[in-house]
Amino acid sequence: MKRSLWFNWFSLLALAAILLTACSTPSPTVEPLPTEEESATLHALYMNQAGYSEEILQEMAQQFHADNPGVEINFTFVKYDELHDKIVTSAAASTATYDVILLDLIWTAEFGHKGYVIPLDERITEEQKADIAPAIFDAFIYNDQMWAFPFLANFQNMFYNLDHLQAAGFDGPPATLEEWYAQMVALKEQDIVQYPYIDSWNQKEGLVCDYVRTAAQFGGNLFDENGQPIMDQGAGLRALQFMRRLVDEELADPAALTTDEPGAMNALISGAATFNTNWTFVRGNMLDPEKSNIVDAARTGLLPTAKDVAAPAGTVSGFQGLAVMANSDKQEVAWRWIQFATSAEVQQQHLESEFPIWSSLQNSEQEQEINPDAEFYATNLANAHHRPKVANYPEVSAIIQEEVHSCLLQITSPEEATAEMVQRIDALEE
Amino acid sequence: MKKRDAKPNATRLSIHASEEKFALALVTPAFLITFLIVLIPLLYALYLSFNRAEVLVVGGQGGLVTEFRGLKNYFYFLSSPDFWYSVRTTLYFTVASLIIELVLGIMVALLLNEEFWGRGVVRTLLILPWAVPTVVNARMWGLIFEPHAYGALNGLLQTLHLLGPEQTINYLAPIPLFQNAPLLGELTSWLGITRGLTWIIVGDTWKTLPVVALLLLAGLQAIPLDLYRAAKVDGANAWQRFWLITLPLLRPIILIVLVYRTMELFRVFDIIYILMAYTIPVLGVTTFQQSFVFGNFGKGSAIAFLIGLLVLLLANGYIHLINLEERE
Repeated sequence: MKRSLWFNWFSLLALAAILLTACSTPSPTVEPLPTEEESATLHALYMNQAGYSEEILQEMAQQFHADNPGVEINFTFVKYDELHDKIVTSAAASTATYDVILLDLIWTAEFGHKGYVIPLDERITEEQKADIAPAIFDAFIYNDQMWAFPFLANFQNMFYNLDHLQAAGFDGPPATLEEWYAQMVALKEQDIVQYPYIDSWNQKEGLVCDYVRTAAQFGGNLFDENGQPIMDQGAGLRALQFMRRLVDEELADPAALTTDEPGAMNALISGAATFNTNWTFVRGNMLDPEKSNIVDAARTGLLPTAKDVAAPAGTVSGFQGLAVMANSDKQEVAWRWIQFATSAEVQQQHLESEFPIWSSLQNSEQEQEINPDAEFYATNLANAHHRPKVANYPEVSAIIQEEVHSCLLQITSPEEATAEMVQRIDALEE
Repeated sequence: MKKRDAKPNATRLSIHASEEKFALALVTPAFLITFLIVLIPLLYALYLSFNRAEVLVVGGQGGLVTEFRGLKNYFYFLSSPDFWYSVRTTLYFTVASLIIELVLGIMVALLLNEEFWGRGVVRTLLILPWAVPTVVNARMWGLIFEPHAYGALNGLLQTLHLLGPEQTINYLAPIPLFQNAPLLGELTSWLGITRGLTWIIVGDTWKTLPVVALLLLAGLQAIPLDLYRAAKVDGANAWQRFWLITLPLLRPIILIVLVYRTMELFRVFDIIYILMAYTIPVLGVTTFQQSFVFGNFGKGSAIAFLIGLLVLLLANGYIHLINLEERE
């Protein structure tokens, strides 16, 4: 590839530059931020689907501008599905369209491998590392380098309607996966709801998340430690068999197959479903009287594991970080903004909105007061499983989506679908 | 005489030459714009289609990095069952949409060609769906097809008691039509004829029907009324007048509509992507997925050229029909 020649030259030049820098300067210098007269506009790409709202982000930007009058933050808000494409397009330009991007953990390997974002290891302090759970930090590490700073501690939880459960004769949520199944059967048999469970099983990334989460509830992963697909055995196979069973027995709403996360949440908060496994954004919505019909009955819980699994919960991570584009010409300003937006001081102001990334804030009295479910959150978070960190993740994900969807549409069996996944992923070009 | 003739000839030649220069000057800007914004990207895409091409950022500079692969990208798709499934799905969307649009389009055009009170208003209203942006149209149909009781169509059908209070329809479910019927279910599954795609055709047709109807209306208005009067005198009934006069004389405009709509429908992307993401892999969606999701711009370009080739073949067939029409 032409890249190799350029890469070699670049590597040599970079090495020379590093040696020269190491000889001449004892410590890295920090570029001053632009003054009001110089002024710089930082372009940031963010999503307006989940996580901090547009208003909160604008508020953060105003605070940052007040502290740094020379810097304006210009946001571009897109739907989650459009984020990846926008970032790739920005990387294709000689100078990046966006200086700061929201990086979903599944892109860590791809963006690190292709050089879209800069490594942040040297900029992160030991103090910061000590106050963020390793599970969150690890999500943004690829090839022993850190490619984004954690921003959203997003993960799936169990959200349920307590009134439905009590009407069916249950005191509370299920403690095991088997109990969960029994509760769903009872809810359906007693005609309390037509379909007790709703999830986002349309053919999108959310389906992979739900499959990874279900495998975690069976105590395993879809890939081994070397990144090899193993979903045709153990937890991966059991997870798909379980999901398919919910479809076959009409315990899961058939609409799940064409529904995304907000759609699944709507079914829960309208009162149409008893259970919804979903991301943290659901909590705020289900407790909002303007949006929810189940404010008094809405509860958050642990994601139960199978009886034979030791872990108290099993979920999937959806952590998102802020990263600096490698072709940005404002990298220092971009990093300063990231430091500000991700700081404990700023996150502390918005605890109602999002679960903080900082352990000290997660365990703070303020958080416990604001979020009575913080304990469930913490347990689920501690048992979060990641999706595979491979450079060709989009292709791997597309295969999983197609095969799982085909199985849930009752076209293929779980055994056929998982075998096909393994074969197709193995056959992918490097 | 010869000398006297030579001068006007020379003058004529010189006028002709200056006219040519003037024409060239007029055409040059358009040619340059076409060259810059159509031809160069097209040639670049063709070049990419023979390469492995991916976006990399090296030394702080972003760009596409290429590696020559010859025809491998094309063979990759031509030997892929997934590609041919995409072709069949796209063909179903195109053919089914064309049939519905043409039949309904002719009916609407015939209606609007008649004199009735408020015709002007109806003609204006007809254009409204066409003015709705495609993305808005897709979102609107997403709300209409929402699979729960709070979906607009399910709600309407429940209100009209056409569905029971517990009954809902998942309109966009990507399940093959007649899935459980022996043979037929297998055929619809092989052809990619799913419930979801069929309902999307309804949503897409709602938006594009006005333009088809208007084009056909323009064709209808060009048919001399004398022909109908003569046919009436000869005792032709309404159906015979339609079948023997209207339809044959509409054929040229129908062919134009076919060419225009086939090209549009064959490269459908937005409504399917917005409503179903990658669930229904029509060729446009597959192209986008290869290029922007997988980052394989070489393969993405190759599939785009394959779509171009298929559209060219279809268009060639239509043009052949138009030529036959003109000769007749």
